Amino acid sequence: MNSNTEYARHWEQWSLYRAVTPKNIVILMIVFVLISFSAHNTGIDRAAIETGRAVLSAVGIGESQVLDGAVRFGGKAFPIQISKRTEVSRLESFDRNNLPLFAYVEKGKSREYDALTETWSIEESEFLVEPIGYLLKVLVKMWETIEMGFWGTFISIMISLPLGILASRNYTPHKLVYTFARGWLSFHRAMPELIIALFLVLMYGFGPIAGVLALAIHTSGVLGKFFADEIENAPPGPQLALGASGAGRLKVLRYSVFPHVLPAWIAYIQYIFERNIRTATVLGIVGAGGIGMELKGRWDLFDYDHVATILLVIFLTVVVLEYFSQKIRKKAL
Amino acid sequence: MLRFDSVSRVYDDGTRAVDNVSLHIKTGEFCVLLGPSGAGKSTLMNMVNGVIEPSKGEIMLGDLSLNKKNLNVIQRRVGMIHQQLHLVPRLSVLHNVLTGLLPDTGFWRSLIKSFPLKNQRRACELLNEVGMEEKHLYRRASALSGGQQQRVAIARAFISQPEVVLADEPVASLDPAMSRSVLNSLKTAAKQNGVTVICTLHQLDYALEFADRIIALRKGKIFFDGHPDDLNESTQSQLYDLARAEINTTEQEAA
Repeated sequence: MNSNTEYARHWEQWSLYRAVTPKNIVILMIVFVLISFSAHNTGIDRAAIETGRAVLSAVGIGESQVLDGAVRFGGKAFPIQISKRTEVSRLESFDRNNLPLFAYVEKGKSREYDALTETWSIEESEFLVEPIGYLLKVLVKMWETIEMGFWGTFISIMISLPLGILASRNYTPHKLVYTFARGWLSFHRAMPELIIALFLVLMYGFGPIAGVLALAIHTSGVLGKFFADEIENAPPGPQLALGASGAGRLKVLRYSVFPHVLPAWIAYIQYIFERNIRTATVLGIVGAGGIGMELKGRWDLFDYDHVATILLVIFLTVVVLEYFSQKIRKKAL
Repeated sequence: MLRFDSVSRVYDDGTRAVDNVSLHIKTGEFCVLLGPSGAGKSTLMNMVNGVIEPSKGEIMLGDLSLNKKNLNVIQRRVGMIHQQLHLVPRLSVLHNVLTGLLPDTGFWRSLIKSFPLKNQRRACELLNEVGMEEKHLYRRASALSGGQQQRVAIARAFISQPEVVLADEPVASLDPAMSRSVLNSLKTAAKQNGVTVICTLHQLDYALEFADRIIALRKGKIFFDGHPDDLNESTQSQLYDLARAEINTTEQEAA
């Protein structure tokens, strides 16, 4: 049929595929050496040794620093702290006849340190105990964290939707605008939330504002790039048909691109929302509001039982949110 | 009334896609363009659509000269049914039809899909004309069968009240029974609205059945032009031969 026919070799001479060749072996050895260097740099070898020791120590052979750390945390973390116990004398408006729901007063001893005499004194005093007081406090903080995730995502969409349209090659008004929008989105994407939050805490002070804005700025870079790519990859046919009937570019975008990209956008926005909630739990560490502030405070006081409560609440919230978002996603698509 | 005055189109590589074609198409006529691939059907259609300009001669729609300068006016006065339909899959049937009216809808109205009720009534009327039922109104275009999608595309082409509707192989992907029914819908819609239709087809049988006028092209020239009844035996067999020749060419290309 074709011109190659005359040069064709007999099938017994066709070149066969060999998986193992000297070249492959040399390449593999070089890769192994490079990876070994990198592993030593990052302490992967030490991690392996320490983990091995911890496992051995757990079954009673030798001692391990890693296991000691885990036991130190675990021993103080359980039972987790759910109730809240406050000395009555420290409460400003305490009304013995009108206690909060489920709360009761118990007698106990309070230890006080006298710096002058450098002695501990023990006094009899009364405590107000709220059985689920601390859990409630953590839940309220967690709700604040979820709200931070929501507003972070919302503002992020507000930023990334127009930028995404400007950054899509087929709907940008000008090549320069395209480059500028893409660059701006990359800039947003390149700044990690924690770093942005550090700056914003300086500007706006401690509290959720800094966290929300940090989330919005970082994730708008991610969302905007995704929006732009989806617009660029939308099928050209319907756009061509609507354009040929005389509809303007924005109307074509609205009627032939948006319906197509919407499911993918919703799925991505959901992912960003979940991610924002997870990140918002961490942002508190630099003072940007949410449950992380409480976590950091308790951690620095070595209140590991409180920390355990917080971690459990975070873990359960993330699991529950993912469960519901899966359900919503199935409905939306 | 659509008039071609000795229109030619030569492409940059020297192919004479359309060669000195003169035609006079009356308003409301259902014209079928026949001819093998490369005969110049698409070029002729795209010239009416304003996408391609004639190299020589002029095409007049009423007193409007069809060229790129008037593209915006042409787009409103000439409707188009694409071969691949190009419906928006995730949009409802009603809104797919209404997208034909986007140029006349205000921006903010169109942003929230709030089309005037009068236009929506009109869309329903057209959908009814082409044989769609109310239960299909809010189904997504992607959920429809091939024939139903074709009907929606027809309704979309007619809703902007064009003077001419171009249909590019409207039944290429349908089975014979469905093809007949879709062509029937197209013809009904055209007659009801007094619209000129230019429709390319591959099957001579359908052309004989539905056309008011058959225009057969070969190598850019008109080879037959007239009422289906005027086709004598020899021209008819020549047309069949043309169709067969095309099948052979495509087979060779495939091989």
